[in-house]
Amino acid sequence: IQSNLSRAIFCKMLYQRFIEVGRVCYIRIGDHTGKICTVVDLVDQKHLLVDGPTSGVPRCVLRLNQVSLTDLKIDIPRGCKSKKVRSELTKEDINAKFLATSLSKKAEGKKSKALLGDFGRFKLRVSKTTLNRK
Amino acid sequence: VNSSTTKQWYQRRVAITAGMLPGGVPKLGRAAVYRRRALYKRKKNAKPSKVEAKPEFKTKKVHGEKNGGSRQVPVQKSPRFYPTEDVKRPLTNRRKVKPTKLRSSIKPGTVLILLAGAHRGKRVIFLKQLPSGLLLVTGPYKINGVPLRRVDQAYVIATSTVVEIPAIANDKLTDAMFKRKAKPTKNEREMFIENTSEEPKISAERIALQKEVDAVVVPAVKKVEMLPSYLRSKFTLTKGQFPHQLKF
Repeated sequence: IQSNLSRAIFCKMLYQRFIEVGRVCYIRIGDHTGKICTVVDLVDQKHLLVDGPTSGVPRCVLRLNQVSLTDLKIDIPRGCKSKKVRSELTKEDINAKFLATSLSKKAEGKKSKALLGDFGRFKLRVSKTTLNRK
Repeated sequence: VNSSTTKQWYQRRVAITAGMLPGGVPKLGRAAVYRRRALYKRKKNAKPSKVEAKPEFKTKKVHGEKNGGSRQVPVQKSPRFYPTEDVKRPLTNRRKVKPTKLRSSIKPGTVLILLAGAHRGKRVIFLKQLPSGLLLVTGPYKINGVPLRRVDQAYVIATSTVVEIPAIANDKLTDAMFKRKAKPTKNEREMFIENTSEEPKISAERIALQKEVDAVVVPAVKKVEMLPSYLRSKFTLTKGQFPHQLKF
């Protein structure tokens, strides 16, 4: 059975990340912003049933625009239980793999930028201007 | 409850809120509370009330043979005069004036952003809160031109930057120092004569005090990298920056 990814690479498709059962997604909007979850089932064209037992996301339905797809994917049957999702996620060590992605690093960067105080923002601005002036 | 300490009050509050359901509904109904308290089982220590009845009448000696020798006179005489209209009395005011509560984010040495006044947008160092409640700040003067100044807490943003300055204990740093001096009133003749000899706008005393305070603050500011230039710059909002979303 060809996976979506291998089919995409073979056909040289534009899209490499697909919304499919097992796809690990990064939640960008909503209650669980910043956490990762796994697609367990598709509800309709705009909604996913999602679960993140290892990242503190309860099993819930999210809208597609709340979520950002990652490269990571696990092998789970459609609609499987949280226990199964958890075991697959820990087996693949998805949490560690996600931390290595650029998306995770960018999110960390955004978080630390928001935590810069007024002085921090000043120092950032000054260092940027001096850097650009060179 | 009046005699309990603040800690006991808080503990009591916690206990009360623990026995509550959401919406301010107590967990136990009246009957359940009655059963639980079981006051009917407890011994009641009946203390005799020590209220001494004040005597209404007192005996007074009366002179004269035929007047009975003594008479019962009321202790409190009824007034011999009543006003025609009710006299309105103001309500009792038991308020004690305290200086404004200082925000927990403002500590001596904190960098503050002034939001109003001549120096709006400037970043200054907070020194202490004066008894009037106003905050005493300094630029320092040499760095951004803000002198020793009183500033209202409401017109200030406290940043998270705190400069380590040694405690400034100066007797002259009080509200009286900053009060505007009343101009001497001129009599009729003098009113039309222009006062040619004007006193300097800033007293020598103030300048000396400024130098004294800044001699302590400026070295502390210079110790921190980029802090002098930070204090020299003004606070502005750029595109995409919203004050309620910024962390100061």
